[in-house]
Amino acid sequence: MNEDSFFSNDWMETQRKYWDSWIAMNRKAMGQEGGSHTAPWESALDHWWTAISPAAPGASKQFMERMMDQGKAFFKMAETFLPSAGGDTDAWSALSKSLEEMQKGFAGSFGGAGEGQTALHRMLAFWELPYDNWQRMASSMSPVPGDFLRNMPHDGMQEHVDRLLSAPGLGYTREEQGAYQDLMRRNLDYQKALQEYAGFYSKLGVKAVERMRAYMQDLIKSGKTIDSARAIYDDWVNCCEAVYAEEVGTTAYAEIHGKLVNAQMALKQRMAIMVDEQLGGMNMPTRSEIRTLQERVHEGRRENKRLARELKALKAQVEALVSGQPAAPAVGTPRAALIAGPAAAAPKPPAAVKPVSK
Amino acid sequence: MIPIDIRPDKLTQEMMDYTRKLGKGMENLLNADKIDAGVSPKHAVYKEDKLVLYRYDTPEGVTPQPVPLLIVYALVNRPYMTDIQEDRSTIKGLLKTGQDVYLIDWGYPDGADRCLTLDDYLNGYLDRCVDYICEAHGLPAINILGICQGGVFSLMYTSMHQDKVKNLVTMVTPVDFQTPGNLLSNWVQHMDIDLAVDTMGNVPGELLNWTFLSLKPFALAGQKYVNMVDVLEDADKVKNFLRMEKWIFDSPDQAGETFRQFSKDFYQKNGLINGGVVIGEHEINLKNLTCPLLNVYALQDHLVPPAASRPMKDLVGSTDYTENAFPGGHIGIYVSGKAQKEVTPAIGKWLNDRS
Repeated sequence: MNEDSFFSNDWMETQRKYWDSWIAMNRKAMGQEGGSHTAPWESALDHWWTAISPAAPGASKQFMERMMDQGKAFFKMAETFLPSAGGDTDAWSALSKSLEEMQKGFAGSFGGAGEGQTALHRMLAFWELPYDNWQRMASSMSPVPGDFLRNMPHDGMQEHVDRLLSAPGLGYTREEQGAYQDLMRRNLDYQKALQEYAGFYSKLGVKAVERMRAYMQDLIKSGKTIDSARAIYDDWVNCCEAVYAEEVGTTAYAEIHGKLVNAQMALKQRMAIMVDEQLGGMNMPTRSEIRTLQERVHEGRRENKRLARELKALKAQVEALVSGQPAAPAVGTPRAALIAGPAAAAPKPPAAVKPVSK
Repeated sequence: MIPIDIRPDKLTQEMMDYTRKLGKGMENLLNADKIDAGVSPKHAVYKEDKLVLYRYDTPEGVTPQPVPLLIVYALVNRPYMTDIQEDRSTIKGLLKTGQDVYLIDWGYPDGADRCLTLDDYLNGYLDRCVDYICEAHGLPAINILGICQGGVFSLMYTSMHQDKVKNLVTMVTPVDFQTPGNLLSNWVQHMDIDLAVDTMGNVPGELLNWTFLSLKPFALAGQKYVNMVDVLEDADKVKNFLRMEKWIFDSPDQAGETFRQFSKDFYQKNGLINGGVVIGEHEINLKNLTCPLLNVYALQDHLVPPAASRPMKDLVGSTDYTENAFPGGHIGIYVSGKAQKEVTPAIGKWLNDRS
């Protein structure tokens, strides 16, 4: 593979023209969104990746995708600030405008902003990293692909569902109806917790922009400039990490985080119980039964190991008595047992196993 | 004057460089061999359930010390971090100083291991490994090196079985789990640990990965990959990066009952400071730990900040207590070039002076 096949000079010339015209357009209508534009570089990169990715092994593929995503994020970041460049007398106003756009973007960026809605979207998507990490983790622990609950409609549905859930179960399937109502309640709790979590990150994003603005003002005072996409990306990451570290260390965040995890666990627990009921109905082993067996087997094995150790100690004692030598404490023998003799080495009753609550 | 001066031609050039590196990097990634983990020769000497106790081969020309050293790693992540590549290996460094090194690989717990408790790990598996080594060498006590959570295990184990531990080394080991700025501890405070463990059984490695990435999400899940582009053209560096990447995401599930007790007793109740930790039939009192103790911590550690480790001095009963502060991070203390030159030789010397 050579670089010509990847990005020809034509592509790069097109890209340069694209940015020239981008700047010109923004100077004419400062702050105007250019969301429908797609940078030629980005198109070329996607085109190249589509062609080459089938040959890439799984781990490398994922790795490359991360680098491409981040590359796009940091060039988009530079693009966002391009209108400010060029020594324009209104440059600070333009820069402020860009920062304001970022803040506006954060206000509604989490939990369902459409892909490609604004030119800022991909850059803002960077701030979805913590949120996205949660989605991936939730997905990996879910029986269905993706965090399928994420995009479930909830605002308009709330009232309807509340009414539905308030209706008592009736008749032969009363218990089953109750179980489904509980499932929906837990689902709503999870949705609420997820919204609160996303809302927290939206506010964090706004604060990060504020931090970036302050940082730039400091730069002006010091007479320094940012002259590369990479530098502006690194500065942005530093601002984000600084704000993030301050905010997630608070009690308020601990509560939001706790609610999210607890709500997801409560939902998963109800789902597991319902799956168990279905399995039981088909005469198949349930998770609850398997857990009971696991606990019993574990206690049995623990007891066996304890007995084996004590037997070994006793053997050593007997051998010592037979040979007339003083009994040396066998390694691993409980000291108390050796001092007190075999009676003390008698197995203790197994510790109570914590019952699995439902 | 405005603080941003990015010209289109310069930006285009920057993009050109980035994409060229990506293209070259793709070649290196496609050509990368299978990523190996653990480079020093070793052999299994004892197995129990999923646990394997390894003994590392003594390098030619080195006379091993009479008292062997057992490395106790954490349950989270995998122990090959200590032997990740030829020129970045804590184990290799320890072998060079004459240590006869053993290492416990706890394995990957599955559903059948859900009921394993801290008592099973410490007074069961760990104790039997210590017994095995003591018997094999005809010694009443050995040296132990505990790492991170494995350090906490080692402290507790020694406090329960002081007669079997001659010298103890702890690396990046917390004793105070609620120091200011401890994000992990903060996040766990409002979590219903019982609900989580009862629901999940074992705690998935993915959940731990998410938690650790969340400590610095922009740097660890974003910026790191941009920085990586700069070294993609170097095939060796790509391989080293992939090796580290493999380790970061190679997180075994945690046995549910152990996770329950560890999270509640340490992160929620700060049990080594406040007391009340009970392992099997033992109430943990670190004052029972009286052997020489070397505590190695990292000054830029975001997981176990120095303030979380330093109180160890006042908690233990050792009169021979030494601290070694390394100017690096939680991982750098094992893999950085500086650590190979400073940390490992210092541990080896400290042990040799006392063995």
